[in-house]
Amino acid sequence: MTADAPYDPTSDGELQQEFVEQWRNAAYGCFSSGHKFCREVCPVMQVTRNENHTPTAFHANVVAMEQGAYGIADVAEDYVHCTQCGACELRCPNTLFTGDFYRNRTQTVKLVKAMRALAVDSGVEQPHWKRWIEATVDRRNEPVLEVPVEQERVRDWAEGLDLATGGETVLFVDCEAAFFRTSVARSTAQVLNAAGVEFGLMREQWCCGGPASEMGYTAHARNFAEHNVADWRAIGARRIITLDPHDYITFTEDYPTYFGAAYDFEILHITELVADLVRDGKLTFTQPIERVVTYHDPCRLNKRKGIHESPREILRAIPGLTFKDVDHVTQWSYCSGAGAGLAIEKPEITAEISRRRVTQAADLGVDALVSACVWSERPLSEQGAKLEQPLDVIDLMELVAQAAGVDGRGVTAVRSGGAVAGVRGGEASRGAPEALA
Amino acid sequence: MTAPPIAQSDPFLDELRSILGPDGVRADKPARWNRTRVPAPFPVHRWADYAPDVVVLPRTAQEIAGVVRLANRHGIPVVPRAGATGLNDGAVPLRRGIIVDVKRMNQIREIDLVDRTVTVGPGINMLKLNEELRKHGVMFPDDPASYPCSLVGGRIGTSGWSLIGGRYGHTRDLVISFEIVLPTGEIIRVGDGGGRKIRKSSTGYQLKHLFMGHQGTLGIVTEATLELVPRPEVEFAAFFHYPSFQAAYESTGALTKSGLATLAGVVLFDEWKLRYLRRDDEAYIPQAENVRAVVATAMYGTRDEVKPAARRLVRTARESGGTYLGDEVSQGDWAARHDRYATPLHGRLRTTGQVVPMSWHCEDAAINYSALPQVMEEWHAIADRIIDRYGIFDDWGMFFYTNAAHKPWGDYLVEIDIGIWEQKLDDVNWAGWVEAKHDIAAVALKYGGSITACHGATREGDAELAAEEMGGGFEVMKAIKRVLDPNNIMNPGKYELDTAYDPNAPSPFSGRRTGGN
Repeated sequence: MTADAPYDPTSDGELQQEFVEQWRNAAYGCFSSGHKFCREVCPVMQVTRNENHTPTAFHANVVAMEQGAYGIADVAEDYVHCTQCGACELRCPNTLFTGDFYRNRTQTVKLVKAMRALAVDSGVEQPHWKRWIEATVDRRNEPVLEVPVEQERVRDWAEGLDLATGGETVLFVDCEAAFFRTSVARSTAQVLNAAGVEFGLMREQWCCGGPASEMGYTAHARNFAEHNVADWRAIGARRIITLDPHDYITFTEDYPTYFGAAYDFEILHITELVADLVRDGKLTFTQPIERVVTYHDPCRLNKRKGIHESPREILRAIPGLTFKDVDHVTQWSYCSGAGAGLAIEKPEITAEISRRRVTQAADLGVDALVSACVWSERPLSEQGAKLEQPLDVIDLMELVAQAAGVDGRGVTAVRSGGAVAGVRGGEASRGAPEALA
Repeated sequence: MTAPPIAQSDPFLDELRSILGPDGVRADKPARWNRTRVPAPFPVHRWADYAPDVVVLPRTAQEIAGVVRLANRHGIPVVPRAGATGLNDGAVPLRRGIIVDVKRMNQIREIDLVDRTVTVGPGINMLKLNEELRKHGVMFPDDPASYPCSLVGGRIGTSGWSLIGGRYGHTRDLVISFEIVLPTGEIIRVGDGGGRKIRKSSTGYQLKHLFMGHQGTLGIVTEATLELVPRPEVEFAAFFHYPSFQAAYESTGALTKSGLATLAGVVLFDEWKLRYLRRDDEAYIPQAENVRAVVATAMYGTRDEVKPAARRLVRTARESGGTYLGDEVSQGDWAARHDRYATPLHGRLRTTGQVVPMSWHCEDAAINYSALPQVMEEWHAIADRIIDRYGIFDDWGMFFYTNAAHKPWGDYLVEIDIGIWEQKLDDVNWAGWVEAKHDIAAVALKYGGSITACHGATREGDAELAAEEMGGGFEVMKAIKRVLDPNNIMNPGKYELDTAYDPNAPSPFSGRRTGGN
């Protein structure tokens, strides 16, 4: 047969037809523009330089599917090449010019999630994602590797802190922060204690379900959500504090679509809360930190949610700290590569995105890169450790804990133990799914 | 079932893989379909007709040379593709074949701060390049509307125009020399003459200019040595408004003839453009009704130069009838010039006023100052005609930009922006569009202009007139094409250059039969 032999769109059945019907106009909005402003800002494209991985191609494929040129099985693997960072949406001329008036933002992230869901629902699965999700369902938390992930150990990170269960305000701690970089969770909890914020933990904490949703496993994602929301309701929670930007996205974007108007929780991200506490004088920094740092804007805070002021405000309030900033718009093209399952399915691309990010930081002459996304910190730490002049990667809450004079060290021997004092992060790669077998 | 094209046969793909490695060859449909089109209007209903047979992703000039030699042996077309952001369709294959996608060749190979050059691969983008150069206090000032997305290889392929070319020059002035794989696979370097960092030489023919703007018909650029200039201390932008186009036109003449060396560019917006911006561009800063035409100016340079020059520029604008439009639009609009590349992507139907999704297309020409008013009237008349006849077009007005490097007074890049409701394209509507393009180009020639200042003229509607524009020069062009590309493998069909090989060769476009004499 010729490579251009007619493709039978009906072979993919109604699912694909429904998908095309839903997305065709949005896809045309991009297709008919075709300028590709998104390309050079895309962290994956900057590494692979493969036009199949551009947001433009992600939209054009819908038009091609509408024409019956090809189907989901032909393109599913291309859609792995996305961290769902949202840079392309911000840089898109359609967003720039019709955004305000028509409330029209190019929705590449939603499209990628929908295409991945179509793939899963059509039986086209990526092997590592499949195993990752199966393990997450099994353990109720993501298999973050190298540490035992079990439901009964989900609060081990809080050992000795005497934290309450339940109450109006819940600190949500799952997966990477609960099992791997526990110093982030311990720092956050103690900073909140120091500032007099009352909060509790959940009775039974499950993964937020965001990763499953990002990889296309929508039914699984929904199950996690239903469990967590039921737990929140049972303990009378009204306000949820997230320390992980991925959780923040899931609770503010996914959960409302599941539960509609009945979903009336206040969702806070920790950097916003801590900035308020500092501003109100409820949290004071007593310990100078004599270091030179720059800040990594986590994609889901900066690009997806427009949160870029509060982390900078916090950093500028820490005595002794020399903060060499790179503005948040320049950082549209930065990423750690850790998001949306890329690290699980394509760890080599994540590693290269992270290598470039720590190199950009090192070029500023800093000795540490501060992030506010626990998922970014493992790949960034791995690459930071490989630099000629190794670069520490610190979570903002680890730094805040030290400045506030509390001991935020983690309980697992995650080499992050010392938090600020020489954290290099782990050698483990999140993307080594063989370890799951 | 028909046999697959040679370029998709296993032995051929194996040969390609032996040259490029397994990850350098892609024959799957999404890879090919996503490397078919560019932002220029595209007959989406005929997408399949243009898809290439195979895509290669080279990393070196030697790999490209190997691909080109293989293509010659089999007589298979080769089409280079860099950013694919062009408004012509240089990167769209007319005869399928092999797409050579150079995006992986995006390395900075040398930054020479002593002799002020940077040497790069053709797959690098100017914004990304300047992010690196900024650390050294220098920049590569090639600044098209597509600055965030176009790539150096494509800039050379189209001989691009830069928004600040009046001060710094355009692509051809800013590329000092480059390496190119010829259509028969030899790798040569062309410049003004001499070494790769020499800007002016009198040795031999000026081969750099021969290959500048070749649109992929004479080879594939694999490396370029570019100019470095100091980053400007000051960017000064000032917008002025006028009660009529005529007043703005006369003021534009006064400004561009002022002799101010730091003047980087002047842009004249016509009355149609102002009406359109008011009507449908929510990002446009509101202006009083008596504002009928606008002139934008920008100066770049050292503080010592720009400060006094800016005072004089403002005085000249006022004395020639302009009123300063205010800091908000002057600074904000100029800063957003790149983003304004894409206009709001929706237009209106004249009959009902209904808002519909439209893609933007811009037709360009190079026109002398004296003919601008006449060309403007005739182009809008053409737009009017297709709006009434086809019901899928909208007139989004015109811009006039200073065109020549360092000599902003004599000729202009003239653009008319047309909205097209692409979802409604069919053969009839497409033919209507092509006819309008042809008529727009013919007006440019009637007034002694050029079909294109920066997009290129390879495209259906334009290409048929390239021979007329070039006169006897087109015969020389065909002779060069024959000698350098004996098997007509490089981007065949473009510019109707098939007639270089067979005077009776059929046009690749819609049965239109011209090209050559």
